[in-house]
Amino acid sequence: MKKLMAVLTCLTIAFSLAACANTPADNIPVSTPAPDSVGGAKPAPESDAAEPAAPAGNIRVANWDTDTMIYMPPMLSAFEAANPGITVEIIDIPSADYTQRLSVMLNGGSDFDAFWIKDGDTTKGLADRGQLADLSGYIARDGINLADFSGLAERFVMDGKTVAIPVSTGYYVLFYNKDIFDAAGEPYPSNDMTWADWEAMCARLTSGSGVDKKYGGLLHTWNALVQNWGVQDGKHTIMDTDYSFFKPHYEMALRMQDAGTIMDFGTLRSGNIHYSGPFLSGDIATMPMGTWFITTVIQRTQEGESDINWGIAAIPRPDGVPQGWTVGSVTPFAINEASGNKDAAWEFAKFISSPEGAELYAAGFAFPSRSTDATLQAIATSEGMPDDALQALKVANISLDRPMLDHVLEVNQMLGEQHGLIMLNEISVDEGLAEMSRLSKEIQGAP
Amino acid sequence: MPVNAAAKTKKRLPLGMRNSLIGISFILPNFIGFFIFILIPVCFSFVLSVMKWDGFNEMTFIGLDNFRAIFGQSAFRNSLARTLTFTAVTVAITTFAALGLAVLLNKKILFKGIFRSSIFFPYIASMVSIAVVWRLMFMRNFGPINEFLRFMGVSDPPGWIATTQWALPAVMIVYIWKFMGYYMIVYLAALQDIPVELREAASIDGASGFQFFWRVAAPMLKHATFFVVMMLMINSFKSFDLIFAMTEGGPGQSTTLLSLYIYNRAFIAFDYGQTSAAALILFAIIAAATILQLRVERKMSL
Amino acid sequence: MIEKKNRALKSAVYISLIALAVITLLPLIWMLSASLKLDKDVFTIPIRWIPANPRWDNYVRIWDKVPFLQFTSNSFKLSLTVTAVQVLTSSFAAYGFAKCRFRGRDVLFFAYVSTIAIPWQVYMLPQYTMMRMMGLLDSHTGYVFMQSFIAFGVFLIRQFYRSIPDELLEAARIDGLSEYGIYFRIMLPLSKPVIATLSIFSFVNIWNDFMGPMLYFDSMGKRTIPLGIRMFLGQYSTEYGLMMAASVLSLIPVLIVFLMFQRLFVQGIATSGMKN
Repeated sequence: MKKLMAVLTCLTIAFSLAACANTPADNIPVSTPAPDSVGGAKPAPESDAAEPAAPAGNIRVANWDTDTMIYMPPMLSAFEAANPGITVEIIDIPSADYTQRLSVMLNGGSDFDAFWIKDGDTTKGLADRGQLADLSGYIARDGINLADFSGLAERFVMDGKTVAIPVSTGYYVLFYNKDIFDAAGEPYPSNDMTWADWEAMCARLTSGSGVDKKYGGLLHTWNALVQNWGVQDGKHTIMDTDYSFFKPHYEMALRMQDAGTIMDFGTLRSGNIHYSGPFLSGDIATMPMGTWFITTVIQRTQEGESDINWGIAAIPRPDGVPQGWTVGSVTPFAINEASGNKDAAWEFAKFISSPEGAELYAAGFAFPSRSTDATLQAIATSEGMPDDALQALKVANISLDRPMLDHVLEVNQMLGEQHGLIMLNEISVDEGLAEMSRLSKEIQGAP
Repeated sequence: MPVNAAAKTKKRLPLGMRNSLIGISFILPNFIGFFIFILIPVCFSFVLSVMKWDGFNEMTFIGLDNFRAIFGQSAFRNSLARTLTFTAVTVAITTFAALGLAVLLNKKILFKGIFRSSIFFPYIASMVSIAVVWRLMFMRNFGPINEFLRFMGVSDPPGWIATTQWALPAVMIVYIWKFMGYYMIVYLAALQDIPVELREAASIDGASGFQFFWRVAAPMLKHATFFVVMMLMINSFKSFDLIFAMTEGGPGQSTTLLSLYIYNRAFIAFDYGQTSAAALILFAIIAAATILQLRVERKMSL
Repeated sequence: MIEKKNRALKSAVYISLIALAVITLLPLIWMLSASLKLDKDVFTIPIRWIPANPRWDNYVRIWDKVPFLQFTSNSFKLSLTVTAVQVLTSSFAAYGFAKCRFRGRDVLFFAYVSTIAIPWQVYMLPQYTMMRMMGLLDSHTGYVFMQSFIAFGVFLIRQFYRSIPDELLEAARIDGLSEYGIYFRIMLPLSKPVIATLSIFSFVNIWNDFMGPMLYFDSMGKRTIPLGIRMFLGQYSTEYGLMMAASVLSLIPVLIVFLMFQRLFVQGIATSGMKN
């Protein structure tokens, strides 16, 4: 009996404490300085108007792989110079763990101030959980025109609240190795190619065997590298539950893999081979990859670690899709609802999304969401870029690789698993697509 | 809390009071930390198993719905079965390997220290880099393992982590490789407890190493074996780091063990209720197996 | 005849031991070889075990690329502190659980053992929330608290203590030793092997712990080696050469700890005579 009592006392204490542990999460909006922020419609601006003192203090901002973002140091110093009262402290998190770490921090009620959202498609989930501060008030106060973001900013308006502001964009282009083209006597890829053209081109560029083999192409192991071409037309998304639109692209990838014109998925996947390795050692003629890879290529060639002679062209397109249509993703910047210094965090958000911020991004080979001909020109003509870059980088439309909808992370994880099975020839394309449909319905089905 | 218990004991059993206080004074320093930093969060996560919660918004009581939901998912049932296989195989092989190595390396052998260290080495290496290395070892066409197998005459060696069939065995190999050194040390420690006199007596009687092992050492290693099997079992059931770093559960879901399923429920599906429900099931299995084992151990020591 | 057979057996044992040692070390040898290569050469196929022109520079560059010295000292500080706190409090508590009789003992012990069976991923979120409320995020103190009181240590040492016969303690009690005296004079010296086992376990665990520091340490100055290693595994590029160099360096201190404690196992022999 006494044992039972002891257990009960123990558990009661535990539970009551645990209950305490839970409540703060709900209290967070209350504990922030602006009392009306619970409704979220109009945060700090009014109190600001009453008290015109400039925001100040130290803000803590989460980011990943900060070292590789060469625009970051100039960005931070330019911001701090323009806003003398504010200092920015970056919380750097390894990219592979970023999304998970962020969700622990946010769910655990950490009061860090702001963060870049690495997978833009997770924005909706974050907003649904009430973790993103509403920026509408600030945007109205400071007269930011959302139309300046080429249609990207409106995507972050949810239930009338602007929950994040887009700052940079990445989209797929075709990287190629000029030396392999020259050796094969093949003209460089044009900016207007279909995927069928690309497939034929890869066959012509493949040569040699064993250690000296040059591959016509490389499709990295992400499911995006096949499935993206299915959503390139802007009509389909990965949240459709009938995936037959992936079929031609899987058939192409498997054909090329069997013919040996692209590197084998199994080798890439089991060796965990990063796409930069084979491309930078000059074994790959063409590689579809995101614009984010540009920085790496330039850094490595400038440091002398790689001596490839590279170029970029527009991504090939499926039949019937206009020239210049590509697939990409947006990196938005958001303010933590639990932040104690939203005003200062907003100043930073405003700065990095401003035209000046856009220029700083461009100077570091990153594509600002506030994209203009000037920023594109700046990137295309910077030192280290290939001569023909400007035309290749001009795009007419960017379809989002992953839409901002509920369950998108779960569906994408599932698509990745089935992608692996198809590419490893464990199941046929039809079986794989049918399984994707079934599981996608299961995930998206009952709420 | 323990102070409370002591106070109660005092009223009813004044004679036991002193003993209780002494006992509690031994436990208290550790218990305070354990209670605050481990027990409370664990109890809290148990409560979650009957709640619907996304980690931030208000939670609602939903009874056993979480359990029904996860048992309805083929992903959960498969990962449970996979975890049982994984545990059975790794526990059996690791225990035998560790015991064999410990007995061998407890003998008078030249360079004993070097052998011990090299077998222990994998245990101390960090999982992140281990995973990178082993993935390369297991590559289908050019990996050293398959090159060796071809050299030995196997014409069509397995595709290892590039196939659903061989991925789990590959992970098991790495798991055994990494942990057998540690359990070898546990056995070595236990072997040191066998009194020198016994060994001397055995060698005077002319018992061979093998006989000595079975007649004298094995019964004395019973205790250590129970411990090794139990720890291995608990850790295999929970094993996460290796899979997370090496295969991320793939290809397909062929290496998604229960712990990884739980992790995905929390950080991809953001369903903390189902996360806790799955964890509770894992806990129930481990607890049942542990209690069973303790029973057997008690019976055998009588 | 017997001698010949013995010799054959002996050489067989040695050959298999050497083979086993080589097999176990092979992946680590690859690690060493990769640590001397350029990133793009790490994955050349087929594997080149001896780098064409070893790049010792990798071992210099890691110190510039990340604050590796700081990471190393943090790793030392945390591993040693957690190991010390854990071994001390655990062996103390284990004595209470194994050799003292009091009401509620078994219930408490059951609570301990149950938590061993719960994967950390399950309670890391409530734990994080609690640590935040106590202001222990991004602090070494918080991390030490979080890691030192895991139930495994108590469980391990209790199992060992239970194998020590009660008669020995009774005799000591009759001689007038207090319970504390028994613990310090008899149990602690007897438990060297198990303390060595726990120390190695604890030290290696903390030394290689990635998830804990990843979740808890915001500032660069607080981070540890595994996070440093992980930082080379980036999204846009992976610096395998540097990563492996860092991994090789991180092995050395643990190896030293191991070699140090290995002696304790040998010392254990001397004490074991007391038991029967």
